[in-house]
Amino acid sequence: MSIDITGVSKRYGDFVALEGIDLSLPRGQLTALLGPSGGGKTTLLRIIAGLETPDTGSVVIEGKDATRLPVQKRNVGFVFQHYAAFKHLSVARNVAFGLEIRTHGGLRPPWTPQKRAGRERIQAKVEELLALVHLSQFADRLPSQLSGGQRQRMALARALAIEPTVLLLDEPFGALDAKVRKELRDWLRRLHDEVHVTTVFVTHDQEEALEVADEIVVVNQGRIEQVGTPDELYDDPANDFVMGFLGETTTLGGVVLRPHDIEVDRGPGRAGAQEAVVVRVLRVGFEVRVSAETVAGEQVTVSMTRTHAKALQVEEGATLWLSPAVGAATVPSMPVRLRDGVGA
Amino acid sequence: MSVQLEPRPPRLTVGPAPRRRTPSHNLTRTSGIGLGLTMAWFSLLVLIPLAAVVATAAAGGPDGFWRAVTNEQTAAAIRITVLAALSVTLVNVVMGTMIAWVLVRDRFPGKALLEMVIDIPFALPTIVAGLVLLSLYGNDSPLGLQLANTGWSVYLAFLFVTLPFVVRMVQPVLEELDQEVEEAAASLGASRLTTFRRIVLPALAPAIAAGAALSFARAVGEYGSLVLLSGNLPFESEVTSVRILSAIENDNRATAAAIATLLLVISLLVIVVLDVVQRRVARRG
Repeated sequence: MSIDITGVSKRYGDFVALEGIDLSLPRGQLTALLGPSGGGKTTLLRIIAGLETPDTGSVVIEGKDATRLPVQKRNVGFVFQHYAAFKHLSVARNVAFGLEIRTHGGLRPPWTPQKRAGRERIQAKVEELLALVHLSQFADRLPSQLSGGQRQRMALARALAIEPTVLLLDEPFGALDAKVRKELRDWLRRLHDEVHVTTVFVTHDQEEALEVADEIVVVNQGRIEQVGTPDELYDDPANDFVMGFLGETTTLGGVVLRPHDIEVDRGPGRAGAQEAVVVRVLRVGFEVRVSAETVAGEQVTVSMTRTHAKALQVEEGATLWLSPAVGAATVPSMPVRLRDGVGA
Repeated sequence: MSVQLEPRPPRLTVGPAPRRRTPSHNLTRTSGIGLGLTMAWFSLLVLIPLAAVVATAAAGGPDGFWRAVTNEQTAAAIRITVLAALSVTLVNVVMGTMIAWVLVRDRFPGKALLEMVIDIPFALPTIVAGLVLLSLYGNDSPLGLQLANTGWSVYLAFLFVTLPFVVRMVQPVLEELDQEVEEAAASLGASRLTTFRRIVLPALAPAIAAGAALSFARAVGEYGSLVLLSGNLPFESEVTSVRILSAIENDNRATAAAIATLLLVISLLVIVVLDVVQRRVARRG
């Protein structure tokens, strides 16, 4: 295991940020910490980095107890949401920063062969990293002359320069616009396949987590709700919070399920089908979202393709028979549970 | 054999081709009036009086100027003033930055009060500051520190009146500084000292330099706060402002203007040097 977290808790005054977190992350894996804001995922990431110390529990990185190790000694790469660029240094010198600190060669004057060799090594490494993040032609620019996406790639190169044991990213694409975010997301996945460093990133965007991560850790209200691969989480959510956080949900006959996992018929053919009257039909691109009210008074959202809706002649006031599709992921609905931040 | 002449291409432009003109200003009528007022105001209050001082100093010719500033007692006063102002500015650069750091980064009881007290040396009429210093460090000092009529009184008075400058310049810049940048440096292995030297200091350098310039300028011209405590002993605690005053009292305008001009040149020089240093620090990292 690359990172082992045992019994970690953290409080800020009365606010419980994390409570009894146990988590093991294998080497080389790309893990997403997913959850609503204020849920504790950033605190957990900062504890792994050593930017915060836990009140209780331990953090072991590559078999070494790092709980009391300061951030400087942990050899972690950290990427911040707002880039944290060194504004007065060029892109190349930003990337070189960690290397310059490590390669000092003692107090020798700068013209000695040892120092020159060090400088040449750093320069070669910086060029290699800038090529990796596609910023070679921007080496001499200042961070303020780069776009947001370029700045974040620079920050990533800077973090990778020290060859970190683990790479930690705190909402790395949160400050970017949707298109750039999507590009960088694909790019991060490809980069990770090349570099293979154990990576943990924090996000509140379920699509980002599902698309990029090998494994997703769902964090909510200071606790871990579920750990699993994207497929496991999507197909077999542990509870309605996880289900709700990973995509839209609706309720039908006392269970929570996805709106596209509902079979729609014009007649009472299927076992367990419930009669419902269409209240509203909303077309979004290729998809049709139907709001219906069952005879039991339940509000159900159904999504189907446009062709399907046309074939069934779904329109306001029509009577439909709704039933969960075969193999649909469902969890019992728990209306008493506090469900903050649930999508849909 | 007839020669068919090719028809000439029609001339499209008459006279020299129009040159693309980049305007040297972007003034509209209102902003023109604004600029005019600014310059008139600045000239009346600053440029013309300064020019008059320089002209008066020059009236005595280079010999007169040289004689005025190399007068033994005057030279000593200039040395004392400049040395004290430079040392005090240096102290302020370190202490002022530290005080600003404490005020911005630390939370402690009484912080709001300290915030207010910092400005007192700035807000106090200088002669009141002089009285305060005299009662604290004078001959019947309750602290047992008798600095009156010694060279140290000059340093003390300068330190007192120039304290807020660096603090107040650095404070807002430090508040704006993104602490994540320091965390990023730490995660790359930089110690707190390295982070301060290579990341924080370059960001603060312009503010520190501005504070230092103000502090030096204020010290060089200081009069009210030290005149009571220092005793104005020639070669020991007499500063240039006192020297200028006595020159005027002896109806020796040219000497006064010569000393003033020299101070002006020194101050300008210090400001230029500070700016050069600041630019280098801000770019180096």
